[in-house]
Amino acid sequence: METLLTSSFIKDYPASVVIVNSEMQIIDHSKLWLKELENLNGSPIGLPIYDVINYTSKEFSKRCEECLVGGEQVKFIQELNQPKLNTKWLEWTISPWTENPEKINGLIIVKDDITETKKREELLLKSKSIARIGGWEVDLLANTVYWTQVTKEIHEVPENYVPNLEEGINFYKEGTDRDKISILVSDAINKGLPWDTELRIITAKGKELWVRAKGEVEIVDDKCVRIYGTFQDIDEKKRIELKYNEVADRLAMATKAAQIGIWEYNVVDNILVWDDNMYELYGLNKKNFSGVVEAWEASVHPDDIAPSQELLQRALNGEAEFDPEFRVLWPNGEIRHIKAIAFTHRDNNGNALKMIGTNWDITKNKNAEKKLKNLLEITSEQNNSLMNFAHIVSHNLRSHSSNLSMLTGFLDQEGDNNEKERLIKMLCEASESLDETVQNLTEVVQVKIDTLDKMRPVNLYETIIGVEKNLAVLLKEKNTVCEIEVGKKLQINAIPAYMDSILLNLFTNSIKYSSPKRSLALKITAEQKDDHTLVTFSDNGQGIDLKRHGNAIFGMYKTFHKHKDAKGIGLFITKNQIESMNGKIEVDSQVNKGTNFRLFFEAINV
Amino acid sequence: MKKFENVCVIDDDHIFIYGIKRLMKEVNFGDDILVYDNGKDAINGLRLNSEAGKKLPSIIFLDLNMPIMNGWDFLDDFCKISESELDNTVVYIISSSVDPRDLVRIKNYSIVKNYILKPVTANDLAAIQKEEVA
Repeated sequence: METLLTSSFIKDYPASVVIVNSEMQIIDHSKLWLKELENLNGSPIGLPIYDVINYTSKEFSKRCEECLVGGEQVKFIQELNQPKLNTKWLEWTISPWTENPEKINGLIIVKDDITETKKREELLLKSKSIARIGGWEVDLLANTVYWTQVTKEIHEVPENYVPNLEEGINFYKEGTDRDKISILVSDAINKGLPWDTELRIITAKGKELWVRAKGEVEIVDDKCVRIYGTFQDIDEKKRIELKYNEVADRLAMATKAAQIGIWEYNVVDNILVWDDNMYELYGLNKKNFSGVVEAWEASVHPDDIAPSQELLQRALNGEAEFDPEFRVLWPNGEIRHIKAIAFTHRDNNGNALKMIGTNWDITKNKNAEKKLKNLLEITSEQNNSLMNFAHIVSHNLRSHSSNLSMLTGFLDQEGDNNEKERLIKMLCEASESLDETVQNLTEVVQVKIDTLDKMRPVNLYETIIGVEKNLAVLLKEKNTVCEIEVGKKLQINAIPAYMDSILLNLFTNSIKYSSPKRSLALKITAEQKDDHTLVTFSDNGQGIDLKRHGNAIFGMYKTFHKHKDAKGIGLFITKNQIESMNGKIEVDSQVNKGTNFRLFFEAINV
Repeated sequence: MKKFENVCVIDDDHIFIYGIKRLMKEVNFGDDILVYDNGKDAINGLRLNSEAGKKLPSIIFLDLNMPIMNGWDFLDDFCKISESELDNTVVYIISSSVDPRDLVRIKNYSIVKNYILKPVTANDLAAIQKEEVA
């Protein structure tokens, strides 16, 4: 029996509902249901439902029969393809109604338009399929497993494959992969923890594949009833990632071993980024670094900053390659030589965006280069000096020996006795000269050979006094005044014999070349400096025209004065002696005023 | 055989001077033999002669290694004398030096005819006489 209340309730029900009797005649319906009908005049009450709606299917009537007979609710989805319209999806829920428990009086038919939902579902499936993301689900209560088509494809199993949990886990590669997934699954079931992991499976066809498996849990009454998630083929991406990591690791190892630093300079924002090796190259602590170009410039040697900056600008403008060499000052004061190379990334207009470059330490190279250059210079110098020496000596030996041969030739032919005597005298002279030359040669060679282990502390003052005494007579002849400003305790690291020889030579030279216009005055001073001792020996004699003769003064057999005793070898030997003791000699002089010799001796190691 | 009018020898080795003078006598090389024992004296002497109107020597034997002023410096100064005057003068370098650098250097002086290595022999002088027939 209908009541008024029931009637309005059905009318206003917010779904499309129609109620029929066991003959499938419409008893009642909701407003919404009516709205969806087209071409209806009047009320459909009493009409058979099949007359009113035109889109029922065989399944519909079958289901209705089923429900009338069986008394159980039935649900089914109907795909409605209407001409000139989009496909519609309808979900039918057919339930029986009874007035008394034994008899089914009719059906309540609810129609739900699930087109939108269905569409979205389809879209999701499609996108998953494109992304090769499959879905899976395990119903723990029913102990069933469901895999989407894509999941099956990833596992390379046929469409009709029926998965189960244990087999699913066994697809994972034996070893760490399988162990990991087993733990994750059991944690999910027992502790309700979701997972997201990347592991390897071996497909049914034996292919090893990297997958990303995600799992979610559904908990009911504190128990996990369902786990579900996605399954994605990330093989290609993963392999590329692994390869990249391998290459990146190798690069890091190589640059670390080779001590190459890598830097990146963002031109637009003026930000500089360094890798760890860079900090090591500059002797800096990563924490103290602000990462800006200015900090780099603060480390660079002040003399090298301007040229490096200029090159940077030119490189940014595309005019040059950035490949400077510069010195870097470490915080502890050490200087390192650094070489840099960079490559500039530009935008489409050619403006510089970013520079990526390297730095490496070339200090060892630079130092070796310097040393080599020095050695070359020294060797070259020594070579020259040797050549000169050889030529000079051979010239002198030749002079005297050719004289000897000439004289003996004449002697042979000469009849006149007086002439013979003369010849013999000259012969003696020539042979003496030859002898002297050989002696000089020996002396010079001796100096070059003598090593530094004969050096020892020598008292300068005492040496001077000794030489003075030796030359007392000659000095007196010239009415010499000798001023000695040398500390009585001052010691010089030297070879005693050489010191005697050097001082003797300087004294005799001053005596030889004293000015006839005045009496000889000598002054000797000694000053101890940080790394050497400076001794000066000055006289007021004739002086030397250094502009004209320059360093020839120390040359072998070079004489500038018409003096019978001028052999031209004294200062040559003196220079060699001083230099063999690691010292050096310099001279300055003014004609007719006097001469100053400056002798530098190695500092004594106290 | 040509006899040279003015011969000049510039060398500091007096034994050599004796020798070459004797040789020149043997081959009848020349009449006047002017000797200087260093470059400075030579240049001064020659300059004085030139100013006094005397002719410059037609042949000069020059040693390279001498005290005070060596052969090179002498040559530099000597060549500053006017070209016309130098037309009749020829220089022979006599030296005991075998330094190849010296041999190259003499090429810079057009007035130097040749380089003779000591000891000088009579044959050397004879060759010069033959050479300078003109």
